[in-house]
Amino acid sequence: MMAVGISGYGIYIPRFRIKREEYAKAWGSFSAAGVTEKSVFGFDEDALTAAAKVTRRALESVPMEADMVTRFALATTSAPYLEKLLSGTVLVSVGIPNSAFTSDHTSSTRAGTEAMLAAFEHVMATQSGKAVVAAADAPKASMWDAVEHAFGAGAAAFVISSDNLIAELEGHFSYASEHFGERFKPKDDPLVRDLNVKKFAEGSVVRNTTSAGSALLKKLGRKPEDYQHVVIQQPDARVPVTVASRLKFTDAQLASSLVSKTLGDLGAASVPVALASALDAAKAGDRIMVISYGSGAGSDALSFKVVTDKKATVRVQADTERREYIDYVKYLKIKGAIQ
Amino acid sequence: MAHVSVPMYWRTIPQRYKLIGYKCKKCGAVNFPPKGVCKQCQSSSEFEETHLSGRGKVHTFVLISAGGAPPEFAEQEKAGGQYPVAIVELEEGPKVIGQIADIDPKEVKIGMPVRTELRKIYTEEEVIRYGFKFVPA
Repeated sequence: MMAVGISGYGIYIPRFRIKREEYAKAWGSFSAAGVTEKSVFGFDEDALTAAAKVTRRALESVPMEADMVTRFALATTSAPYLEKLLSGTVLVSVGIPNSAFTSDHTSSTRAGTEAMLAAFEHVMATQSGKAVVAAADAPKASMWDAVEHAFGAGAAAFVISSDNLIAELEGHFSYASEHFGERFKPKDDPLVRDLNVKKFAEGSVVRNTTSAGSALLKKLGRKPEDYQHVVIQQPDARVPVTVASRLKFTDAQLASSLVSKTLGDLGAASVPVALASALDAAKAGDRIMVISYGSGAGSDALSFKVVTDKKATVRVQADTERREYIDYVKYLKIKGAIQ
Repeated sequence: MAHVSVPMYWRTIPQRYKLIGYKCKKCGAVNFPPKGVCKQCQSSSEFEETHLSGRGKVHTFVLISAGGAPPEFAEQEKAGGQYPVAIVELEEGPKVIGQIADIDPKEVKIGMPVRTELRKIYTEEEVIRYGFKFVPA
């Protein structure tokens, strides 16, 4: 079978940061475990502007002209419209042909890997196909809700094809189940709710992620120690540690991708940005296990083998270090939380 | 607010999203945004489309503060504070006006290299009007 994988990638972390101390001053506490600061979009940014930026960066990293793209998949849980094609904005801005098939993946934080798998299916079916996946997110909740504390902002895009591979897809396995009460938006409200039943929610996270992850290990005949990097959904900086240890992965395997400590919860872009961070650190021959999670609930597990030492021009770490701190009042203003 | 209807805004998408310029078939000058007659030779009205790189240098700029922003940008100024508006000389020649984003306004300098990227310009009739702004290159 023909090898397919990641041929290029691009990331973007917005410049603004807010520290956990700002929340502690405003509310008396900060509820995002292990997160010390998080990234914030500017007033004039949203999932689509960030998706356009990372799509362009990913194409430049190959390099590939936008007019080669035959499939474009967009992932976000913070769409600027509840109804309207979102991918069209990015497609036109970047110069992807109008004839490319596009899809918008928006209903859970699993959307990032959902879009990646859609892209892989395209290039597996059409050998000359070139797909781009862009995941960009800045989840939004009421400022009164503790679930809001973790929400950061960021984006990553991948060029998926069968040429010039950086990392080859070795296999994937998905798992879906029925859970509720954890991270949802009721039909008439664009803000994320969470009933905050922690143990119940953790049960869903652990069941879905470990089911997908262990099934993929079994399918590939692998053990956790065969991997140098493991990338896990990061609603905060503790959940990925819990899931990793359940699957017998170590903190060392998690280290290259633990972006939530300084960026917060990137929603549908969490796993994509974390995967880019692992790719930045990986050497040819390294293996990367990727496990996403979306409440409701489901997980996708993907296994990659890194085949070159080629990297994207803009590293996750470089964009993370470019920052300007804001206070909580400015945060409320640029989030549009003061009406 | 200066009302820009949805169809009127839509017609400017080639310029606002993609920087499509118009090269004069007679003298070769690049016109941006499109002109009826070439701005350079003043004698031709035949052009071919050309995709501009979006790269250029700050020719001059001004910082817009409270009270100075047009109504459609007043909310942006209130939320984010002072913002820079520049005339940028693009690599291909045209001088174009646009905001500079993603920078501390105090750090904008004449001559600094910039490039375009997609941003939200403003929202009218609950329709987000996207378009280019400049960011440090």
